[in-house]
Parts: sequence; structure tokens; C-alpha cells
Amino acid sequence: MAFSLSYREKSLYASLAIELCVYGPYFFLHDRNSIDKVAAMIGAIIVLQIILQTLIAIFSRNRVTDERDRLIELRGYRAGYFALASLMVLGLGMLWFHTAVGNMQIDPRVMGLHFLSVFFGMLVISDIVKTVTQIVSYRRAL
Amino acid sequence: MPAIRNQIRELRAARDMTQQELADRIGLTRQTVIAIEQDKYSPSLETAFKVANVLGVSIEQCFQYAPRGKR
Repeated sequence: MAFSLSYREKSLYASLAIELCVYGPYFFLHDRNSIDKVAAMIGAIIVLQIILQTLIAIFSRNRVTDERDRLIELRGYRAGYFALASLMVLGLGMLWFHTAVGNMQIDPRVMGLHFLSVFFGMLVISDIVKTVTQIVSYRRAL
Repeated sequence: MPAIRNQIRELRAARDMTQQELADRIGLTRQTVIAIEQDKYSPSLETAFKVANVLGVSIEQCFQYAPRGKR
């Protein structure tokens, strides 16, 4: 069957599902976030990734990766880097605008958490871009 | 679409070889063999030689360069 998934594809779909399930609630409920929740979320990501990737490895008979997998992996990292760099420039620009032109009013007690969330969000979005690019590359001609 | 066309499907069928068998002998995944057969992926030169070797033909019989717009 031409639409069967390779070990790497299954692994990518699992990663994307975990990222969306864990990061989604975190960013949609950002007004109730705390340092403890960030730590719990990172812990949940690590545990879920280990469990799901182990299950996929156990139930995949063929765990070969080849030159096409490596090429697709590189494409994903390139797209992820581009997303991260763009978001960083955008974030720095917004920070400059708010401090130099606007009137930024953030409670100093939550300043650290605010910036942690913003930069963590950039990393998460870049990682999702990387994973989605890899998934799409598997379905398109290279 | 890559500019490299191939006859792998026909050559493989003539030898009664499955995609998985070909993939195992070259060290590729079956999905990569499928992508090559469907002209969705141009393999490296090393892989192209391995495919031709396994199928017992010259590389020219297996792969052809077809520039875009000249098919």
C-alpha cells in the first residue's frame, strides 16, 4: 500500500500530537500560568515522548532510516530555524516598540514569567513548524 | 517533480521482487522505494548504483535524465 507510514513518520505524528496536546492548553490558558506549570509541562512532554516513542519503536518491525529521512530531517530543521529567527526578530522589535515608543506596563513580579512564556512560545512554534514541515515533506515530492 | 525518471517498477516486476525486498537489499525504507518509483524522490548517485546492481542492469537502463519540459 502506497500510503503506509514509515517508522520516522509515525514518530513525527506522535511528536506533533504530544506537542499540540501539552502546549495547546498551556498557551490557551496563559493567564493562569505559573513557573510550576511550566515545569510540569516540560516534565509531561518528556515523559509522554519517552512512552510514545518507545511504544512506536516496539511495534515497528522496520526501524531503518535512510538518505530520504535525513534529507527531510534537514528540511524540517531549516524551516524551524527560519521560524525561530523570524519570531526572535519580531519579538525583539515588539519589545523595542513597547519600551521605546509604547507604554509597557507589566507587573515586575510576573515579568520573568511573561518573558519565559514569550520565548518558550517561540521555541514551541518553531518546533511545531519543524515537525509539520517534515510530515508534509514525506507526502510531497522532494 | 524530480528530473530523474526510472524503470524500477517494471524491472522489479520482471524479477518478481517486492518493494520491501528491494528496500532491504539496498538499505532503504519501503516508503523511499515507493517515492523513487513514483518519481517523487531522486536518489543519491550511490543509491542509484545500488539499485541498478541489485536489479542486474546498467544505471542507464534503470534511470534516465529527463529535463523539465522535455518529457
